[in-house]
Amino acid sequence: MNSQAPSRPPLSTADGIKMVRLLGTVSFVCGLLIVITHRGTLSAIGRNQERLTREAVAELLPGMQRQVVYSVHGGELSKGEGSDRLAGKIYAGYDASGKLLGLVMEASERGYADMIKAMYAYSPSKRCITGFKVLEMKETPGLGDKIATDKNFLENFKQLVYDPDHPIVAVKAGAKKNNWEIDAISGATISSRAVGRMLNRSIREMAPLIERNLRRIEKGE
Amino acid sequence: MTGAHLVQAPSPSENYETFFNGLWKQNPVFVQVLGMCPTLAVTNSVRNALAMGAATLFVLVCSNMLISLVRKRVPKQVRIATYILIIATFVTIVDYLIKALSIAVYKALGPFIALIVVNCMILGRAEAFASRNPPGKAILDGLGMGLGFSFALLCLGAVREVLGAGTFLGVPLFGPRFQPWVLFLLPPGGFLTLALWLLVFRAWQSRKERKQEQWRAAA
Amino acid sequence: MNNQSLGHIFIDALLINNFVLSVFLGICPFIGVSAKLATAWRMGVAVIFVTLVSSLLAYGTNALLVVLNAEYLRIISFIVIIASTVQLVEMFIKKTSPALFRALGIYLPLITTNCAVLGVALFQTSRQYDFAQSVVFAAGASFGFTIALVLMAVIREKLELSDIPDTVRGTALVLLLAGILSLAFMGFSGMGVES
Repeated sequence: MNSQAPSRPPLSTADGIKMVRLLGTVSFVCGLLIVITHRGTLSAIGRNQERLTREAVAELLPGMQRQVVYSVHGGELSKGEGSDRLAGKIYAGYDASGKLLGLVMEASERGYADMIKAMYAYSPSKRCITGFKVLEMKETPGLGDKIATDKNFLENFKQLVYDPDHPIVAVKAGAKKNNWEIDAISGATISSRAVGRMLNRSIREMAPLIERNLRRIEKGE
Repeated sequence: MTGAHLVQAPSPSENYETFFNGLWKQNPVFVQVLGMCPTLAVTNSVRNALAMGAATLFVLVCSNMLISLVRKRVPKQVRIATYILIIATFVTIVDYLIKALSIAVYKALGPFIALIVVNCMILGRAEAFASRNPPGKAILDGLGMGLGFSFALLCLGAVREVLGAGTFLGVPLFGPRFQPWVLFLLPPGGFLTLALWLLVFRAWQSRKERKQEQWRAAA
Repeated sequence: MNNQSLGHIFIDALLINNFVLSVFLGICPFIGVSAKLATAWRMGVAVIFVTLVSSLLAYGTNALLVVLNAEYLRIISFIVIIASTVQLVEMFIKKTSPALFRALGIYLPLITTNCAVLGVALFQTSRQYDFAQSVVFAAGASFGFTIALVLMAVIREKLELSDIPDTVRGTALVLLLAGILSLAFMGFSGMGVES
């Protein structure tokens, strides 16, 4: 590692060919190993990932029996995962009789320390958010990270109304008056406000799209 | 292939020394102070520390073995490039294996799995040991060093999780009235814990040296 | 997917999530070359150089890998990119500015195993930054690395003549100082977030 400008002896052509051959062989073997592992683990990784989102969605939509994934691309909704992995996703959950229980979407926002990523459930018929779950965050342990566990805080999301005229916003702990407001956690106001902003932005973007396609989603097409 | 090499391997006592060298006397973290980044970054819980230790152990043993197998054919000029290529291969493999085994662990370790490539300990062992010794010995060295590294991560992870969250492997230790010392889960806690462990090691070593000197003086 | 503003990304990588003091990347050079201020800032400049170039190349390579559906080659190609960037930068500086080369010379090869450089390439990929975001992120991260390195060098030069117990000298002292610096940098958390 610590090569202090070594004076290299001049290379002969034979040496050069040997070097290229060796590097070629090593690269080939390495590539082969990687491809074998990739192929071998592909299905397990896919299963894991699917189970993870399925479990998160089921947690937000209790009683869900069937799930349909929609991807959002260029303001349009299409069924299935889609080829664009960066596209936003909507997970629609149905109960045993095929009735739409609700939709689960992902949202993210800058928190106190880093990005907070979360999932929330939205009921288009009631026009309100019915659940919220943090997926990833680096908020301060013991303070900001309560947004994932604090019972009183999570109570906010049992019925949080989406009203186009009133933005969803986090207010000081105990100051909640309207059902589009979120009671912040005292001592974690910044993290709570980030949650409010994330939901507000995401729902404002998604709600019109959902409204337009509601018939399709209800039938699971 | 490995068996043939193992036959020419030297006496058991030498193997024993190769193995324990890394585990204790030349511990990569506490003595050689190598591989600091993962040591500090993923030790905020015992589970993460163990997962990182296992991943590094796997890469180290595999790369040591392969490098030792090709050591006589690699020209000096492309030595480092070949080693990095081999190490990066096994890191990619371990990356996929962890993803297949547990997404939760994968998410907790994050990019630090891929960063095993630049763990100077691994390239250091390739250059200093695997390129000069037969595969059997190289594997033993990888095992010793890898376990030594895991042991060090465990030391840090245990202190940080017990003090910072009041749990060990997620099991609460102190009951509900314990007020966790959150600082130890945060970045400064990583630096401070490692500093404390180094101090403990240093103090222990210098005491041993003093005792040996007294012995010699007495003799 | 990622809608962070450029200013946020820069400040975030520079101070809030400083690569050395809060993400723990590039600790080896941070401990190794922070004894003298003169060497510390030279190392910093070299890292800024290499990080910016390799971040650009990594962005392009990743786009290519995504098109080819060969993301499993990401780690290998990133490390190859960094190693060759270090070589290229070395040759380029040698040709254009022999004085700078003499100053930076021995630090350049060491950068290959600086995990901050690979960290930038990996983070910008996993966070799905676009081109401008990647460049700003690389700049913020490498400037942040340099700030931490220079701060540590200044402290260590001041401490050179202090009376420190033998047991604490060396790495343990650097780590203790880093812990305190890291505490100070925690104060930047929440900066620039609407409240």
